[in-house]
Amino acid sequence: MSDMELKDKLKTYRISQSEYEKINEVLGRPPEGVEWALFSALWSEHCSYKSSRVHLKNLFSKSKRVLQSFGENAGVIDLDQGEKVAFKMESHNHPSFIEPYQGAATGVGGILRDIFTMGARPIALANYLCFGNPKAHRMSRLVEGVVAGISGYGNCVGVPTITGQTEFHSSYDTNILVNALAVGYFGAKDPVVTSVASGEGNLVVYVGAKTGRDGVHGASMASESFDESSESKRPTVQIGDPFFEKLLIESCLEVIRKDLVVAIQDMGAAGITSSSFEMASKGDVGFEIHLDEVPLRDPSMGPEEILLSESQERMLLVCTPENLKPIQEVFSRWGLDAHPIGKVISERRVILHWHKEVISDLDPHVLTENAPMYERPFKPWAYPFKKSELSLSLEIKELKSTLMSQVKSAMGTSRRWIYRQYDQRVGAKTARDCDSSLSVQRLPESGRALSLVLGCRPYMMRLDAFLGGADSIFEPALQMAVKGFEPLAVTDCLNFGNPEKSEIMSEFVASLKGMSQACESLVSPIISGNVSFYNETEGKNITSTPSTGLVGLKENLDLPKDHFQNSGDEIFLVRLPLVSTWGLAGEAQSLKEFVGEVDFSKASKFVKAWTQFAAKEGGSLSTRLVGKYGLGYALFRMSTEDLGARVQFGEWAQTDRDWVKENLYEVLVSAPQGHLNVQSLQTHFGNDVKVWKLGESVPGQLEFVNQDRSQSALTTDVWLAYETGWREHFEKLS
Amino acid sequence: MKNQPKIGVLRFLGTNCDQDIWEACLATNLQPEWVWYQDHFEPSNFDAFIVPGGFSYGDYLRSGALAAKAPSMKDLRMAADKGIPIVGICNGFQILCEMNLLPGVLMKNRDGKFIDEWVDLEVCSESPYSSAKKVRYPIAHGDGRYFVTNEELKNLQDQDQVWLRYFDNPNGSTFDIAGVKTKNVFGLMPHPERALFDWMGGSDGQSFFEGFLK
Repeated sequence: MSDMELKDKLKTYRISQSEYEKINEVLGRPPEGVEWALFSALWSEHCSYKSSRVHLKNLFSKSKRVLQSFGENAGVIDLDQGEKVAFKMESHNHPSFIEPYQGAATGVGGILRDIFTMGARPIALANYLCFGNPKAHRMSRLVEGVVAGISGYGNCVGVPTITGQTEFHSSYDTNILVNALAVGYFGAKDPVVTSVASGEGNLVVYVGAKTGRDGVHGASMASESFDESSESKRPTVQIGDPFFEKLLIESCLEVIRKDLVVAIQDMGAAGITSSSFEMASKGDVGFEIHLDEVPLRDPSMGPEEILLSESQERMLLVCTPENLKPIQEVFSRWGLDAHPIGKVISERRVILHWHKEVISDLDPHVLTENAPMYERPFKPWAYPFKKSELSLSLEIKELKSTLMSQVKSAMGTSRRWIYRQYDQRVGAKTARDCDSSLSVQRLPESGRALSLVLGCRPYMMRLDAFLGGADSIFEPALQMAVKGFEPLAVTDCLNFGNPEKSEIMSEFVASLKGMSQACESLVSPIISGNVSFYNETEGKNITSTPSTGLVGLKENLDLPKDHFQNSGDEIFLVRLPLVSTWGLAGEAQSLKEFVGEVDFSKASKFVKAWTQFAAKEGGSLSTRLVGKYGLGYALFRMSTEDLGARVQFGEWAQTDRDWVKENLYEVLVSAPQGHLNVQSLQTHFGNDVKVWKLGESVPGQLEFVNQDRSQSALTTDVWLAYETGWREHFEKLS
Repeated sequence: MKNQPKIGVLRFLGTNCDQDIWEACLATNLQPEWVWYQDHFEPSNFDAFIVPGGFSYGDYLRSGALAAKAPSMKDLRMAADKGIPIVGICNGFQILCEMNLLPGVLMKNRDGKFIDEWVDLEVCSESPYSSAKKVRYPIAHGDGRYFVTNEELKNLQDQDQVWLRYFDNPNGSTFDIAGVKTKNVFGLMPHPERALFDWMGGSDGQSFFEGFLK
């Protein structure tokens, strides 16, 4: 091969010169034929985690509840009493920007397959979305398409979407984020299966949809930055079929629960290539695969296209020869085919046949275990925006108009337009839906409560990657703790820009460190996840966004409420003073600064104290973690159209601007008169926290009272602004 | 009151509220039994039938159209003729309309989008499934816009077939209709099985399922 030819080949297969040299080294010769395609797919960033592996292995990932974690399709945790859940989060950013409906839909389909391959019945979906400025080019269409894709797929497949988070910022103008999370449930009798192949002579069986040309080279596409030609990559986006997926869920769970399979894995990124090589590699066995036996949508497809196709709704399973017939009977009842395409051999080799010819014969470890691992350069974290005190240059209008503009802003307005399109109740387990501050489901066998909450505030990440990383864990952990849940485990989706740039890699390392330390302090391990690098378009990187999903458990469904319950309820603030910032209000005025630091031990103690307190008090309380836009906005969110609050200025908020300040971490709690008092709260939460009584709930008004003046807004006005704000940003989407 | 009435729960490829109906039956002292779309059955072996919601055949072609032609539906039609109660919920309602067991059609929602929310319903006509004058159930549908012509509407009204009406019409249905009925065939878009217990957000669905005991 001439230098010119080699250069072309490396470009086509997205393999670097140094990786080419490494391939030569592990094979003892240059790659040939389909081997180019195999290395391209399995050594891609998307499949090999080559830039992140060295850091991921340091994540806190163990607790006595963890049954499965990294290395499997999804993590599994033990809930005791025979119940378990599997959960995982995954990105579908690149395809969703190119083709929003199908990109988002297949993101949902893919994450569901990761769950039911383990033998768990999917019971919940959630999505974490980051869009650009609402007025940015194509943004309305992207929002509409992504939401329609999630709705179209999730509703049809019959898994409720119970929570979500939607962010807007110009750093996502040309690279949106679509992260989907799924949770699956195991009852006491349901087995957990893995993708570890075994048993010489066992059959390798292809099930589900036929293979087509869609998504060829998808994994390597997701591993590079966007440029102006990205629109032309539309043909590499896969097409989803939720009806087919529903049939696949039922048939796969049936064969798993009848104990008919040895191992099973979905064909995700890099399709049949990754599933076969990974299954063999994990089991330390070999596969002999006849690619000419793969069911095809288009019979003219060649072996390389078959290997790289990312057609959706397909699975690969291993079974004993005698179980093939019963498996085929189950699949046929659900209208699907199960077709043997090869067998397991004892020697660790994957031999690919194409008609009568052997087109590849490799040790699977070469492609999986020997994939390159990079220690990309990064700098130690230096807190670029940490100050000794907050500047007082935040400009603030009077409180009422400040509040009104916050509740109408893209970040502050209601997301009802989005979640109204999601079926939040199919499966009849939903106890708190997307309307609530925390989604909750009832576990069918024990009747206990399971909560699912997403985390990561991109504006905190823009402020500081270490702080933002820790906050991606503590903020959602507190969200559930104030409703009485104990956070048990975490999944993450690490969305970053180009890892070859040291400033991006530095943020990656810093945020991971913050997350991991937070998880360790809570004993909530990270058990599954995904890394998405190269979220970069023409040199512009997204906000580093390590989104998270936390699962929590509570013994019963007696939960604190979200809103004030009766006129005259007393309102208290419980503050653990760690970090203060002008937060989202400050960012809008280019005020980027914070004071203080995260104390992991104090923050985790605060979480635990809330779990205990809220679980004990239950529905007599109303609670809310104060978040974006600070105390004023949080008080509004606890109000109803009929019931507001009268609160005093005081040590907790001395000036108007203090009502928009964000203090990590503080919680509003209200209860009937005489039920709580400052002293009892102080005793429970200890001397690290400050407790104040702010006022009480009152009919129809949100009133902030200072010594000499009082400022107020009608709750009906603020609610109207909150509910109609969306329309101001997305005229066409209402 | 009958002792543990036997309820045939129809299943098609893509039905996804079948398990919820099953659980709701068990929770309200009913005895559910699956009826698979390819199988024939003896109508008189059952006290009533429920056609659950979901996306039978992915709503491809037209919601409910393919399920209406399934082999099991010949027997369901016989059950209807014999006067055995049949209730279709959501996609089940669409299927019963496609079979002409109920009048009208269900079209795409007015704003073209799927809607999930709790709705208040006026109960306009007597049935075993709702004794209150007003009930609250969730809806979750993309094709829930009930349509009949003026003439058909008049017929419905004359025969007391308008069963449930939305207080706040979410989808553009003719005359705010959420459910219709004949003598023994009932169809509604909302999901009573999702309103069975207070922890779900409301329990008006209890009396709905208790209707099968009457």
